[in-house]
Amino acid sequence: MISYLVTVVILVSIAALVGLALNLQWGLAGLVNFGVAGFVALGAYTLAISAPHVGWLAGMVLAAAVCAGLSMLLSLLTIRLEENYLAIVTIGFAEIVRILLLNLGELTGGALGIADIPRPFAGVTPAGWGDAVILAFALGLVVIVFAFSEALVRSPFGRALRAVRDDATAAAALGKPVLALRVRAFAIGGAIMGLAGALHAFFLTYIDPSQFTPIITAYAFMAVIAGGRGSNLGLVLGAGSIMLILEATRFLKDVIPGVDGVQLSALRLGMIGVGIVLLLILRPEGLVSEPKRRFADFFPPESEKA
Amino acid sequence: MTRSLPLTRRHVVAGLASLPAAALLGRPAAAQAAEIPIGMVLPFSGATGPYGPDMKKAAEMAVKWVNDAGGILGGRPLKLFIEDSETNPTVGVTGTKKLLEVNKVELVGGFWGSPIALAAKPIILAADKVQMVSCSANAVTEGDTKGMVFRFQAKSTSWGPAGAKVMKTIGAKTAVVLAQQNPFVVAMIEPFKAEFAKLGGKVLDVVMYNPDQPSYRSEVEKAFGGDPDAVFCLSLLTDFVSIAKEVYRGGFKSKIVALSIGADAEGKFLQAVGPEVANGIYHLQPAPPLDSPSYKKFVKEMGAAPGTVFLFAGNAHDQMCVTALAMEHAKSSDAKVWAKSVFEVCNPPGEEVDDVVKGLELIRAGKKIKFVGAGATCDFDARGDQINRSFLVQEIKGGKNVSLGIIT
Repeated sequence: MISYLVTVVILVSIAALVGLALNLQWGLAGLVNFGVAGFVALGAYTLAISAPHVGWLAGMVLAAAVCAGLSMLLSLLTIRLEENYLAIVTIGFAEIVRILLLNLGELTGGALGIADIPRPFAGVTPAGWGDAVILAFALGLVVIVFAFSEALVRSPFGRALRAVRDDATAAAALGKPVLALRVRAFAIGGAIMGLAGALHAFFLTYIDPSQFTPIITAYAFMAVIAGGRGSNLGLVLGAGSIMLILEATRFLKDVIPGVDGVQLSALRLGMIGVGIVLLLILRPEGLVSEPKRRFADFFPPESEKA
Repeated sequence: MTRSLPLTRRHVVAGLASLPAAALLGRPAAAQAAEIPIGMVLPFSGATGPYGPDMKKAAEMAVKWVNDAGGILGGRPLKLFIEDSETNPTVGVTGTKKLLEVNKVELVGGFWGSPIALAAKPIILAADKVQMVSCSANAVTEGDTKGMVFRFQAKSTSWGPAGAKVMKTIGAKTAVVLAQQNPFVVAMIEPFKAEFAKLGGKVLDVVMYNPDQPSYRSEVEKAFGGDPDAVFCLSLLTDFVSIAKEVYRGGFKSKIVALSIGADAEGKFLQAVGPEVANGIYHLQPAPPLDSPSYKKFVKEMGAAPGTVFLFAGNAHDQMCVTALAMEHAKSSDAKVWAKSVFEVCNPPGEEVDDVVKGLELIRAGKKIKFVGAGATCDFDARGDQINRSFLVQEIKGGKNVSLGIIT
């Protein structure tokens, strides 16, 4: 049982990382990214291909760097386009990644994928503790990325991003470098998605193109919407609750007589959909709404200063 | 700078209220100690979803026979847990974990689709349990399997030569391969080329395409445009439906040899394209022992018309039977012990048995048996691959599948 829960928590962590990244791009900077699955896949493959040669740490750094670099280029493409076109470009990007992974057989193993991906500390891990190491790793990453995102939100950079999100023209008129801000936000998000992909590869130790379907993108958007766009805490709750519902419903057929697997498989996904719709009707701002920051939060009045 | 956490008392109460549900998770499945838990990971949704329900039905049927006859190992019933793979390896892995850790299964069977089996394999082997698959990619039984991975399916590499033999039978001298980029299919191509060359044929071209394309027109034109005698279409159901329509529309004359998982799919192909488009398509698949009484009985119990060719359902049935027989033979439900008995109850010599209940009786009487399943004869080589799998070749004529014979 514990080991199964560990698996679930690792998957929640991966989903949370992807969600935090999307929250940064979409929630904070207003950049729609429908190519999330492509970036996660790219991170996973970069790690799987490089780690046997350069070690896991360098592999992870590389995964983040490659994803950040490509995110940057991708967001630059939209320089002359309205922001909604970024969404279309990213869908195309995810498809390109999927097809390249499938057809670059020499490098990616094609449809067969890559097996035996080395895990961090594999040599010094006692037998049976492999998943525990990944768990610690995953939780550590989530904490770091969460803290980083929260710091980012409060920084002048985060403030400028929100300004760009809410009204790009006004922000530009105030002298904010709109394009540079967007490119940077997109790149940081891409890097985090790459890290999530790397974690996925470490955990499964086997990756193939069919693992990175657009459902990853859909779950990330669900997590952001359910949790509350713009709120990192809400996002972690959102990602957690979606994965928990998905996994917990597995047990319904064991507990409730008369519900069988075939019906349940259809119901499970339907239930998530209904849940999201209900949530949007009853609580459109998400589980935790984006905190309304006031001038005083950033610049406390003289009297309150210690 | 203080900022109130937007977590209200209501949230906390709602969270607490969900705790009893969480407690359910902790309930061990082994409440009745006598039950022997076994598990399967099957597709009920996603691209391979159509195959899951029949596999489930067949497996549950076999388990019911065993349990109705008093179970195994002195009266212990089998308890079958089934998880949905959603045709997605990540979901397959969590399902496998749940079966292993929560239900404490001794076997994780099922596995339609090689990527899911490959992703679950390291986890099952790390837990020292048996994995039984119904998929083809060679990699599944390669590497260190601890002797605990069994394939209830023909290996990819053996599908290719069978296809070449069909080409010869229908008189094709030149052929083009039109294949979906997937691990199961890709492994067939080289063995097909080698065997076809040996039989005096020539492969003009290999055209690959990606799964889930919106259109296959350019691939179809590339493959059929050179007017080869025949095209070997290595496709699954959804893509083959589009390809067959495209070929019909284009008026190409080359004969089509396809895989039954695309061109039959237990009747779904004909339903999708109609008899006119399907006419004259040849298709092959690893054959169940069609004429054996055990297979006929199986078809009847499944509630299908006589002569229905089940492939995956039969394999699922066999997985359950072999597990029960091997456990009884080993006098143990410990996977490490009974995995070795799989060879003892499946491979000759021994009295041929096709009924699991009768097999259990014979084993208890100390006889050596050789199980013959509803999916195959179930002979295993040392790597856990099924050998002696023959292929059934059919042609679609006037909206019906007409058997052209068995290729070995």
